[in-house]
Amino acid sequence: MAHAFAGGTSAICRCPHDPGRAALVSRPRHRLRVLASSLPTPAIEGQGVELSVTTRRGRVLPVLKDCSLRVPPGQLWMLLGPNGCGKSTLLKVLAGFLNPSSGTVYINRPCSYVFQNPDHQVVMPTVESDVAFGLGKLNLSLDEVRSRVSQSLDAVGMLSYSQRPIQTLSGGQKQRVAIAGALAEASKVLLLDELTTFLDEYDQMGVIKAVRKSVGAGGEVSALWVTHRLEELRYADGAIYMEDGQTIIQGDVSTISKFIKKKQARYFGHFEL
Amino acid sequence: MAAAVHLRTIHSLSLPLPLLAAKAATPNPGWLPLSAKPGAGRRRSLLVCAASDPSKAAGKGEAGDAVARWAAWIPRAAVGGAGPEQVLRLISGAAATPICQFVDSPRTFLHAIDPRVKLVWLLALVVLPARSNIYLRFGLVAYLTLLSMWVLPNHVWKDQLGRVALLSGIIFIMLGFGSDGAPSLVQTRTPPPSVIGLPNIPTSTNGYSYTIMKLGPLQFTRKGLSVASTSACLSFAIFQSASLCLTTTTPEQLASALWWFMIPLKHIGVPVPEIILTLLLSLRFINLVFDEVRNSALAIVARRINWEKLATMETIDIFFNYVRRIFKNIFDHAEQISKAMIARGFRGDPNNHKIYFLTESSFGIVDVFSLLCLFALVALASISDKLV
Repeated sequence: MAHAFAGGTSAICRCPHDPGRAALVSRPRHRLRVLASSLPTPAIEGQGVELSVTTRRGRVLPVLKDCSLRVPPGQLWMLLGPNGCGKSTLLKVLAGFLNPSSGTVYINRPCSYVFQNPDHQVVMPTVESDVAFGLGKLNLSLDEVRSRVSQSLDAVGMLSYSQRPIQTLSGGQKQRVAIAGALAEASKVLLLDELTTFLDEYDQMGVIKAVRKSVGAGGEVSALWVTHRLEELRYADGAIYMEDGQTIIQGDVSTISKFIKKKQARYFGHFEL
Repeated sequence: MAAAVHLRTIHSLSLPLPLLAAKAATPNPGWLPLSAKPGAGRRRSLLVCAASDPSKAAGKGEAGDAVARWAAWIPRAAVGGAGPEQVLRLISGAAATPICQFVDSPRTFLHAIDPRVKLVWLLALVVLPARSNIYLRFGLVAYLTLLSMWVLPNHVWKDQLGRVALLSGIIFIMLGFGSDGAPSLVQTRTPPPSVIGLPNIPTSTNGYSYTIMKLGPLQFTRKGLSVASTSACLSFAIFQSASLCLTTTTPEQLASALWWFMIPLKHIGVPVPEIILTLLLSLRFINLVFDEVRNSALAIVARRINWEKLATMETIDIFFNYVRRIFKNIFDHAEQISKAMIARGFRGDPNNHKIYFLTESSFGIVDVFSLLCLFALVALASISDKLV
């Protein structure tokens, strides 16, 4: 699902000091953190993001607790963590689908969101028309649309499939079409939620290489990829590890790999005892 | 042979290869290890898979009994009959899209024809079989058959023509014998010629006979032939021309052609953009519906229900649950797709969200020739009664 920050909800506004960025600001009762000005402007940044939900019995359940992350522009970062730790929720907060209870989110715009199940995302009967669907909100000429569709399909290796009906594609190919739809909107940020869950190894590699290619192409596109698969880490520039609604560690791939291996060793050691 | 398949993973991290080989060599009726490749890396997770014949294993104690019991639960292919299991297996094994879908290769001249011209042809092929004589009707059927065989890939036209010919054949036989087959029970009020002293109507000298064929109590008359040929040819022409059109035209091309024809209707308040967007979404959604029907059937088949032990009401209950599940999943899909559309910038007003039709549809010489052929056919149909 590709989400563009056009208009937006009350919580999403254009960043006052940079027209190309959207800021999602918590409600006034919460303190806003001041960003360090010495660091280069990140493509995605979350500071102290918290989210709580109220149950039917009136209990307040914290889902996200003081999550902070920083993804530099032109890089692919992975968001890792066990099931139910809040990765997808954090991604939805970054995309503007959910309002945080507190904290600050800055994100470069336009930003697109690609969901886990491509069947929920691809809405038109053939490939090229689906990629062009997201451009309907922009007032573009037909040539411009055609050019964007071709370029984005080429970026994900699906140009030769432009006339194909969606139902004849495999899961991985549909997922690549969904990514192409996001790229066609000239998104500077891609938020990708477990794209490879339903895919076999071949399609998994096809999709991740397509994203890697798009991110590495111009240096302008950044991506945050939620995943469970550690073997995908080698395609990333950095990673963030979450646990129990909190971002535990973020850094380069080798640091995160070592951290996870240590955790695994402790886990297996616990069973041996 | 019913085979029991066991899967287990072996973590070779803690097992050196010789030890693994020794373990694999241990006789065990339930397990047949796969040999590890000698050059494979050390960090390797092996999948040990075994297929054992339960009849052989049955005589080897408890392990054999367990294997036999396990094998009894493995779903096997349905063998004939028309029980619920067979119906569900039939649904779950059906083609992904029973409705004709666009075939993008090989590209033929029909792919190149303007979709607007194709729509005009479709309209003409719906009207012509009913408004022309019997020779032209069968001529149209032959034309569509030959065109399908020429244009479409073998497996596609065989499938399409087979189904359409079967349907048209049934219609032809039923209407041929049914429309005028049984003599009317109501007596005519006109007295026979012998009563009123007039000579009887002479029999035809040139071999004309109203009754063409008799089959027991049924008769195949000229009226029956006319009704049957009209209906069967009309059905054939409608289904086959629609199939041809759908297999050589993308949904977006069809939508753009309809858009072009419907533009004047905007002046009288017809919501053309809504209609076109609805058509496109329907063409996308129809495949999801078929997938859902298949997957839900597969989910029931996979549960290996022993239908013979179920009461009639329990079987009916399962089918109601099946239908309910299909509808629930379809509505879930619809909800998710609507959310996706909103997230992709659609705000509920098709007038403000442009639908781009990227395929060029230029009116060329092929289209002119095609229209000329159509005019000639219409003219031939209009004078066909006078020719025969």
